This record gives sequence, structure tokens and C-alpha cells, in this order.
Amino acid sequence: MNRVLKTLLRPFARFFEFHARTHYRAERHSMALTAGIIAAAGVGGFVEIAPLFTIADTVETAPDMRLYTPLEQAGRDIYIREGCYLCHSQMIRTLRDEVERYGPYSLAVESKYDHPMLWGSKRTGPDLARLGDKFSDDWHVRHLIDPRDLVPESVMPQYAFLQNATLQTRDLPDRLAALRAVGVPYTDEMIAAASADASGQARPDTEGADGVLERYGEETAIRVFDGRPELVTEMDALVAYLQVLGKLTDLAHETQPVAEE
Amino acid sequence: MSVKDRDPLTGHKTTGHEWNGITELNTRVPRSIWFFVIVTHLWALIVWILLPTWPLVTTYTKGILGVDQRQEVEEAVIAANQARSDWAQQIDELDAEQIMAEPALSARVRATGHQLFGDNCAGCHGRDAAGGPGFPSLIDDAWLWGGDTDTIMETLRVGINAPHPETRYAEMMAFGRNGILDREQIRVVADYVQSLSGAQVAPARLEQGAQIFADNCASCHGEDGTGSTDLGAPNLTDDFWIYGGDDQSLFTTIHDGRAGWMPAWEGRLTLTERKILAVYLQQLHQEARQ
Amino acid sequence: MIANLTRNERQGALMISISVLIVGLAMAALGAGDLMGMQGWVVILFAAVMCTIVLRGLDADEPTEDRAASYYDDPTKVGIVISLIWAVIGMGVGVWVASMLAWPNLRFDAAWSSFGRVRPVHTSGVIFGFGGNALIATSFHIMQRTSRARMPNQVLPWFVLFGFNLFCIVAASGYLMGITQSKEYAEPEWYADIWLVVVWVAYFVLYIRTLARRNEPHIYVANWYYMAFILVMAVLHIVNNLAVPASLTGAKSYSAFSGVQDAMTQWWYGHNAVAFFLTSGFLGMLYYFLPKRAGRPIYSYRLSILSFWGIVFFYIWVGSHHLHYTALPHWVQTLGMTFSVMLLVPSWASAGNALMTLNGAWHKVRDDATLRFMMVAAVFYGLSTFEGSFMAIRPVNGLSHYTDWTVGHVHAGAMGWVALITFGSIYALAPLLWRRESMYSWKAVEWHFWLALAGTVIYVFAMWNSGIIQGLMWRTYSESGTLRYSFVDSLVAMHPYYMARAFGGLLFLIGAVIGLWNVVMTIRHVPRRTPELDYPTGSEANEPAVPAE
Ligand code: HEC
Ligand code: HEC
Ligand code: HEC
Ligand code: HEM
Ligand code: HEM
Ligand SMILES: [Ca+2]
Ligand SMILES: [Ca+2]
Ligand SMILES: [Cu+2]
Repeated sequence: MNRVLKTLLRPFARFFEFHARTHYRAERHSMALTAGIIAAAGVGGFVEIAPLFTIADTVETAPDMRLYTPLEQAGRDIYIREGCYLCHSQMIRTLRDEVERYGPYSLAVESKYDHPMLWGSKRTGPDLARLGDKFSDDWHVRHLIDPRDLVPESVMPQYAFLQNATLQTRDLPDRLAALRAVGVPYTDEMIAAASADASGQARPDTEGADGVLERYGEETAIRVFDGRPELVTEMDALVAYLQVLGKLTDLAHETQPVAEE
Repeated sequence: MSVKDRDPLTGHKTTGHEWNGITELNTRVPRSIWFFVIVTHLWALIVWILLPTWPLVTTYTKGILGVDQRQEVEEAVIAANQARSDWAQQIDELDAEQIMAEPALSARVRATGHQLFGDNCAGCHGRDAAGGPGFPSLIDDAWLWGGDTDTIMETLRVGINAPHPETRYAEMMAFGRNGILDREQIRVVADYVQSLSGAQVAPARLEQGAQIFADNCASCHGEDGTGSTDLGAPNLTDDFWIYGGDDQSLFTTIHDGRAGWMPAWEGRLTLTERKILAVYLQQLHQEARQ
Repeated sequence: MIANLTRNERQGALMISISVLIVGLAMAALGAGDLMGMQGWVVILFAAVMCTIVLRGLDADEPTEDRAASYYDDPTKVGIVISLIWAVIGMGVGVWVASMLAWPNLRFDAAWSSFGRVRPVHTSGVIFGFGGNALIATSFHIMQRTSRARMPNQVLPWFVLFGFNLFCIVAASGYLMGITQSKEYAEPEWYADIWLVVVWVAYFVLYIRTLARRNEPHIYVANWYYMAFILVMAVLHIVNNLAVPASLTGAKSYSAFSGVQDAMTQWWYGHNAVAFFLTSGFLGMLYYFLPKRAGRPIYSYRLSILSFWGIVFFYIWVGSHHLHYTALPHWVQTLGMTFSVMLLVPSWASAGNALMTLNGAWHKVRDDATLRFMMVAAVFYGLSTFEGSFMAIRPVNGLSHYTDWTVGHVHAGAMGWVALITFGSIYALAPLLWRRESMYSWKAVEWHFWLALAGTVIYVFAMWNSGIIQGLMWRTYSESGTLRYSFVDSLVAMHPYYMARAFGGLLFLIGAVIGLWNVVMTIRHVPRRTPELDYPTGSEANEPAVPAE
């Protein structure tokens, strides 16, 4: 036993002896240390991150994948601003209980246009990856105004101010352009019409609504999300975003059908 | 301390340097450390051989076990479905009374329904299914569409006013906002509606209200106000209210209209799960009555 | 402070402050109407304070020529006090945040006070404000002492210290206004990120130039760790924060990465913020103050080598353990898991090296609360790294991920290790720095120790309980093979533990307040004492580098 151990140990010990001796000389040169640290710390990240861009099946192909509309993107920005991701994950893991509770496990392609991703690291509240259409707009509005009104046990904060905050649509073209710069395929037309599209999506009876359907597809939800047709509020944007979670592509449902029918 | 002194306490040599009073011993790395180095590295090596691990530019080593997390969870879910299939099949086949008459089966519905209802329905209908402003109670006797298992299951499948192609559609018109009734007329008909469930109202107003009701409301809520489960128009005579039976709530209902949104659960919950929920509601209903 | 700078240096400092002021004005003017404008005002305020301080001392007498014969400690002193102030702010906010999870209405009726905006103030406040300032301050002290050389420049350390604090203030005020990139531990927006790069380059230059002046052939271990901290954080920070701003006059930017690549990059950064900010730097602290206080040689130089390079090499691989079972490909998860387990050996080697160093000094640990802080810190370091490696094993993480178990692990490391080693170091350092006989109150140090220990233990046990209960409730099946509990059931079960956590945090906070008070009282009320030997020396025989007059 001892012999086996020693034999096993020998390469490690040799390597280490060599290392210690070199080290004793090298630690006299600050630049040698600098170079050593950068070299040693450089390997891991490179080996793990670079192949995610080169291995093709890392991100699935979803032909039906659609883009966030300007209103939904604005809602996503509010979701980030308010720190919802600190309590809510958007990542259903490949575990039986998660699939049974929340629905099909999340695919990489589903967050392909998410700059940055919002997978989250803590579930103080439930996962939201498949939230779209699970509740009504009205429910979301009431829940965001005061979660304890609907769920007495909730510890979620109130976001009543969203209901009265007019949505800033002026800088949406800039935002979409920046997203295009990092790889989201918005067209020139979409960028130019971003502000109008954002208002149009929350006001079904205006002409702006037609443009949204034209540019983002007939499936797009055009509704008065916040129950206030006269005003496009941050509540409109956030609820529009919540209602589209998990609905950018059907791929997850197609590959993991709910076992029935 | 001068070069290569010995530490009197341990007898180990120092490295011969001193930094503002700090020295170091040149103690050998303890055996135990090497032992753990070997154990952890060997373990890692074995794991690398067994599982997908190393990237190779356009692919990666698959590992000799050939496992992948997605395949694993899909198998686990299928296995779980199979393990449940004996009683799940019974749930699918039997009707509610039969299920409830069977204690073992009834208990399964109870346990499963608790979680399904808690995660999907309680946000609106409350954890006890007693509803709240805007969301109907599911344990009273007032059904919009009907309370038998099949009807409930259909409601669950397609939802009400939901984004489902076959959704049940039901809207209470906005009589005030659309200029059909003026404010006084609304107040009068509201009083009449209250009288249907027993409130005292002055006879003159009652008559006027009955007229307005017959002209505008009876087409949906019926001549006698008992509603229609074909249209999803609630019974107005039973003193159960979704939106409230006080003056203010009634006025708002009639003035602005209502269109409750009940999500569609097809594609989100399986047929069996929806059946379980439908039976679970009957169980709650029964308990509430006791 | 200013009196110790030469005229030229004062003018240099003034120039820098004015430049920052101009940047602030530009942000406020061009960014008006956007949150960027409000951040501009924060910068203006900060720069104005800096300008005032410099201007008020501008005409004071020049310092004497012989300052080269001493270490430059002014920035260290200021850094220590700032660090303690951030400790009270960051932990105070921590207690508030903890209380909001127990009593959600404990907030103001305003957007800025909601959990999601306040929580990052806590995490950045303690990690960067408290931890970062302590690291910068102690590194200034240690690099000079172990090099037996004075810093090469008197403006650069101030630039690093205040530049870093400007970053912290811009970050924290930004969160409350609703500015965040949402990347955990890297939340500040693009302009703050760029500023931090500038500060960090200055920090590295300062460090490397001090080492270049050293009067000791070998570079001491503590410096290796500080260098790893500075260098690797720079690489991580730059890559993870790559982003495209929507407009140069607006605060909002979009990350260069998306989806799965973004997740991997973020946790490559996030985990190594733990490794190189919360571990490497503080190990530097441990490697200096523990042997110094214990009066014992480091147990093993060879073990130091093994653990240092083990930590630098292995840590980088393990970020993917934050993404087990997610849409990240399985192969990356295997790498993260196996490297996390291999990492345990160098981690324990460094904790063991510290504890073995105490051999022959255990009686001091018993009597001296300062040394006890350091000893317990090393124990918690060992504990949290063991726990971390355990949680990195996929099936374990399947249970712990997303739950309070992670939060418990975090605080075993953050409170038990990071905060305790910092407090211990500060208590060891303060009398030395201010040339005092001792701390103002030893009793208070003792009190602080027990409050901190009790607070940590209560916090961590509460979170272990709640985390494991939560994780189990989410996956408990009834006899029927269906899920037993709804999400809200698990939420209700958390309530008692959230109250206990808030209480434990409160104890810890009280300890920190006592610490700040004690340091201030030491500065103000303890008689001066000139230490025997605390100036740069030219040889190992401790001759002064510059002969004293
Ligand atoms: C302090 C933690 C916390 C924060 C921050 C938070 N939530 Fe929640 N959230 C919860 C909890 C706990 C629940 C479960 C109880 C409930 O439904 O209110 C919840 C539930 C929800 C639900 C219902 C999900 C379901 O399937 O039942 C939605 C939707 C939601 N939150 C959205 C948001 C949005 C949007 C934000 C940010 C604007 C946010 N939350 C911020 C804690 C939080
Ligand atoms: C977004 C909120 C919401 C959720 C979630 C929800 N419901 Fe409903 N539900 C409603 C509303 C609103 C109505 C009444 C619709 C109307 O007013 O026309 C309703 C009606 C119903 C009805 C019809 C009652 C009748 O009288 O005919 C049933 C049955 C029902 N819900 C059961 C469920 C079950 C079971 C679930 C969970 C799987 C659920 N609901 C989830 C909002 C919701
Ligand atoms: C087009 C059909 C239709 C007509 C006409 C109609 N209703 Fe309704 N009414 C409904 C439906 C459907 C609902 C249920 C709406 C819901 O639950 O979201 C409803 C709901 C109500 C409610 C709310 C019941 C509760 O439980 O809170 C009241 C009160 C009411 N109607 C009164 C009237 C009166 C008074 C009139 C005439 C002035 C009238 N309705 C005309 C379809 C109609
Ligand atoms: C007074 C003592 C403290 C209290 C009461 C406290 C409280 C909290 C709370 C309530 C959270 C949020 C947890 C959640 O979202 O569920 C948190 C997160 C965090 N805290 Fe503290 N904390 C304290 C001290 C510290 C210290 C000293 C540090 C670091 C040096 C620290 C670092 C962190 C980190 C890194 C997180 C994020 C954890 C994660 O995202 O998983 N905390 N803290
Ligand atoms: C060998 C050393 C360590 C390993 C392998 C390790 C591993 C882990 C693992 C597996 C998680 C949980 C990830 C998840 O499920 O989301 C985690 C989280 C965390 N650990 Fe450690 N840990 C180690 C040491 C430490 C130390 C010393 C600290 C010091 C403060 C620390 C701070 C954190 C923080 C802040 C998080 C939370 C990250 C987040 O989700 O926001 N860890 N660590
Ligand atoms: Ca986290
Ligand atoms: Ca950032
Ligand atoms: Cu980690």
C-alpha cells in the first residue's frame, strides 16, 4: 500500500520539487510573477468560454424564434432596473421536479437575444421562464401594485409607481441599435419605428398597432396591458414583457411535449 | 533571524528570509496533502472518462457512459409518468363521484391537487379557492359555466377570454362608457339587481329598474336574472359576487363592463392534471358545504 | 494629509480633481434628462469635495526632506477608516434587506427603497466598499513593509483610494436610481466600469513600482496574493463588462454577450470575484497579519507555493458550478464540478498553513481577541471552501442552487472569513499605524469578537436550515409520485428563518459599529507611542535605508 502510494506520488513530488526550486528563483522578479499569474489564470476561462462559440449544438436552432418588440424590450429593461432577477430565476433546470412544476426545461436558444441573460441565481420567488399567459394582464397589474393583495404570504415588493410612470420611448431606437450592434437582428425599419411601435403595442385602437403586427408578427400581443388606454406606462412595458416570457419560440414545447393527448 | 536558522519550536529550517519580522519555515508539504491531491485528481480523471468533459473546438468528449443531462431528465419524467400511470389512468377513466368514493384515489387527488392548485390557481382564486375581488370563488354554488367535471375541465382547457383559439368568450358590456345607459339609469338597475338577492328597494325604483333590466340585461342574465351558463353570464339572484354587490362595485361593473381573464391550461397542464384539479375543486366544494 | 504632499504633488492632485470635476460636469450637462445626468451630479459633488480638501491645504508648508526615511501611511489610515464606514453602511443595509424578506412592508413608499434596488447596495457596499477599501489600505501597508521600501509616489495611492471610492459611490447611488447591468457583482454601468479600469491600472503600476524599489531579494507570499488579486480582477472585469452603450450620453448599455455565453462569462467572472477579490486578497492579509501577530514563522513556505498556484490555476475553471443543470452544455458543468473538488486541496492547504502557523502561539489566541479574529477567520475559510466544493458536486447543487443554502455559504465565507480577517487585521494594524500604545478598549474588541461570531453562526445556521428545507420542499414527492408542496408553502416555511437571520445580522452589525467606534477612540484618545522599528531598511540587518538624522 505504502509503495503504491509512493509510486503514485512520485510524479507529483518531482514536479513540485522542480516547481519549488524554480519558484524560489522566480519570486525575485515581479514581472515573472505577473506573467506566471496571468498564464496560470488564463487557461481555464479560455477553455470553457471559447468553445461555446465554436461548438455548433451549444445553441439550438429555432426557426420560429422571434425578437422582443420595443415595448417588451423596454419592459425587460425595467425588469433589470428593478432587480427582479435577484428573486426570480428564468432558467428551468434539467431536473424532474422543476420540469413538473414549471414546464419544459429551458433551452439555450431561448435566451439567445438576451443581452445580458437573466437566468438568476436565487429563487426567493418562483421561476418565471414560462410565465407568459399564465396570468392575466389585470392580475399582473394588481400583483405588481401590491403582491400581498393577491398572495397574502408574498414577500415581494410593491411596484405601484410603475402604474403612473409614463414610459420613456424616446431612446428606444438607440437601444435597439445598440442591441443590433451586439447581434440582435433588428432591421433599420424596426429601429426607426421603435418609439411608435412601443406606444402602438399598448394602444390597440391606434394605427401604431398595425405597424407592430407587421414588423413583429401576427402573434404579437397588442393590448392595453395596464388597463389605462390613455397612457403608455412602465406598467404596460413590464407586463408586456412578462407575458412574452417563454413565448419567443415553441421549440422547448415541441421537443418536450406535455405528456398527454 | 539569519539565513537557514532553525525554528526552536518545531526544529524546521527557515527559508532564510525575513520580511519586517516575518519568517517562513521550509517545512515539507505534509503527506496528507499529497494524499488528497491524488484522491481528488484520480476522482476527476475517472469522472472525465465517464462523463462529457473536454471541449475539442467543434465537439467535445462524450464520456463512456454516454449520458447527457437532457436525456436524463426526459427519462426521469417518462419513468415518473409510468410509475403514476396505474392510478392516473383511473383518474382519466372514472368520473368525479367514482373517484371521490374511492378513498385511496381520492387521497391522491387531494395531495396532488394541493400543489397544482397552489402553484397555478391560488394566485387568483386564493389558496382556499374562495376567490376574491375579481376572481370567482370556486367553492360556492355559483357557477358561471357550470360546475360538473366536464364543464370545469373544458373551462380549464380553453380558459375564459384567454389567448386560446377556442377560449370561452364572455364579456359584460360597458353600458355607461358606451353611452347606452346614463348614470341614473345605472343606479336604478343596480338597485334592482340588489333586490334580486333580497335587498329592500323602493317600489317605484324597482319598477323602473325591472324595465331597464328586461330591455338590456335579460338577454344574457335571463328574464329572472338567474344567469346563463351557456353565455357565462352570472346568476344575479344568489348573493354571490365576483366583483362585489355593494353600490360602488355594481355601478362600476355596469358602467365599465367586465371581462375576467381565466388562463387556458392546455399545453401547460396535462389532461390528467386538469382532471385532478376538477375533482379537487369538487372535494373542496364538498368540504366547504360541510 | 495634504501637508505631507509637496507643492507639486498638491498641484497634481488638484489637476486630477479638476479633471474629474469636468467629467462630472460633462455627464450632468450632456446626460441631462437621462439617469446619466444624475450620476454626473454625484461625480461633481465628489470632485468638489476633493478640490476643497486640496485647495485648503495648498499653501501649507512643504514637508521636510526626510520623509523618504519613513513609510507613507496616510492613504492607509484614510483607507482603514473609509473601510469601516462602508462596513457599517453595507451591513446596515444588509440588515435592512434581511428584514424586508421577513417583513416586506418595512420600506419607504418610493421606488428606490425596494428590495431589488437596495440589495446590490448591500453586496457592493460590503464587498467593494468594506472589503475593497480594506484590501487597498492593507496592501499599501504590506507592500511597503515587506519590501522595506516607501511607495514611489505620493499622489498615486490617493488616486487609487479615492478613485476606487468614487467608483463605489457612483455604483451604490446608481443602484438606488435604477442603474444596473444586472450582472451580479459587476452591476455598475459602462462608464463606471471604464473608470474602474483606469483606477486599477494605476493600482497595478503603484504595486509593481513599490516592489521594484524593494530592499529584499524575495517577494513575500502576501504580495503574490495581492498581485493575483489585482491582475486577475482586471482581466475578469474587462471581459465580463464588455458592453455597447445605447448612447454615450445615457447610462444604459447592453452586454456584448447573450444567453449561454453570457451566463458562462458572468459566472466565470462571478466565481472569480469570490476567488480573487474575496479570497486571494484576503489571504494576502492573513499571510501578513497572522504570523506578525502570533510572532511565529509561517508553517511552510512550500505549502504556500502549492496553495498559491493551486488557487490561481484551479479557481478559474470552476465558474460553471453556478450553472449546473442549466442550458449550459453538460461538458462545461463536468469541468466546473471536478475542478471545484480539486480546488479544495490548495484551499485547505492555505487554511492549514495559517492554523499550523499558530502552533506555539495558541495561548495568545486564547488571550488576544485580535489574533482570535484571525484564527476563526481561517477556520471559516476552511469551512466555506469545503462547503463550496461540496455544493459544486452536481447532485448536491441540484438541491442547494436557487435556495438560501447558497446565501448561507456566501455568508460563512463573507462574514466568517472576509469580515473577520479584516477586523482582526484592522485591530492589529490600527495602533501601529497611528502610533498608539494599543487599541482604546480591549474589552470592546472582545465584545466585537463574540458579537461577530454569534452573528455569523446564527446567520449561517438559519440559512442552512431554510435553504435545505426550501430545497427539499421543492422536490418532495407525495406517495402518489406527485409534488407535495406548492411554492408558496415553501415561502411560508422560510419566515422564522428570515427573522433569525435578520437578528444574527443585527448582532454582526453592532459588532462592526463597536469596531468603528473603537478605532475612532483609539485615534483620538490613546497616547502616542513611537514604535521601535517601522521604517524602510536597506538590508536584512535592518539598517535604515536612509540614515536617520
Ligand atoms: C423580494 C423578492 C422579490 C422581488 C424583488 C420580486 N419578486 Fe416577484 N415574487 C416574489 C415572491 C416571494 C413570489 C411568490 C408569491 C407571490 O406570488 O407574490 C413572487 C411572485 C411573482 C410572480 C408570480 C409568479 C408565479 O408563477 O406565481 C410574478 C409574475 C412576479 N413575482 C414578478 C416579479 C417582477 C416583475 C418583479 C420586479 C419588478 C419581481 N417579481 C420582484 C418575490 C420577489
Ligand atoms: C389569472 C388569474 C387566474 C388563474 C391563474 C386561474 N384562474 Fe380560474 N378564473 C379566473 C377568472 C377571472 C375567472 C372568471 C372568469 C370570468 O369572470 O368570466 C375564473 C374562472 C374559473 C372557473 C370557472 C368558474 C365558473 O363559475 O364556471 C374555474 C373552474 C376556474 N377558474 C378554475 C381554475 C383553476 C383550476 C385554475 C388553476 C389551474 C385557475 N382557475 C387559475 C382567473 C384565474
Ligand atoms: C352580453 C351579455 C351581457 C349583458 C347584456 C349583460 N351582462 Fe352582466 N355579465 C355578463 C357576463 C359574461 C358577466 C361576467 C363577467 C365576468 O365575470 O368577467 C356579467 C357580470 C355581471 C355582473 C357581476 C356579477 C358579479 O358576480 O360580480 C353584474 C352585477 C351584471 N353582470 C349585471 C348586469 C346588468 C345590470 C346588465 C344590464 C344593464 C347586464 N349585466 C347585462 C354578460 C352580460
Ligand atoms: C450584517 C451582516 C449581514 C447581513 C444581515 C446580510 C444580509 C444579506 C441578505 C439579506 C442578502 C440577500 C439574500 C437573498 O437574496 O436571499 C445578502 C446577500 C449577500 N451578502 Fe450579505 N449580509 C451581511 C453581511 C455580509 C458581508 C460582511 C458580506 C461580504 C463581505 C456579505 C456579502 C453578501 C453577498 C455576496 C450576497 C449575495 C449572495 C448571493 O447572491 O447569493 N454580506 N446579505
Ligand atoms: C473552494 C472554494 C469554494 C467553492 C468550490 C465554492 C463553490 C460555490 C458554489 C458551488 C456555490 C453555489 C453556486 C450556485 O448554486 O448558485 C457558491 C456560491 C457562492 N460562493 Fe462559494 N465556493 C468556495 C469558496 C467561497 C468563499 C471562500 C467565499 C467567500 C466569500 C465564497 C462566496 C460565494 C458567493 C458570494 C456565492 C454566491 C454567488 C451567487 O450566486 O451570487 N465561496 N460557491
Ligand atoms: Ca446570487
Ligand atoms: Ca459592470
Ligand atoms: Cu462559485
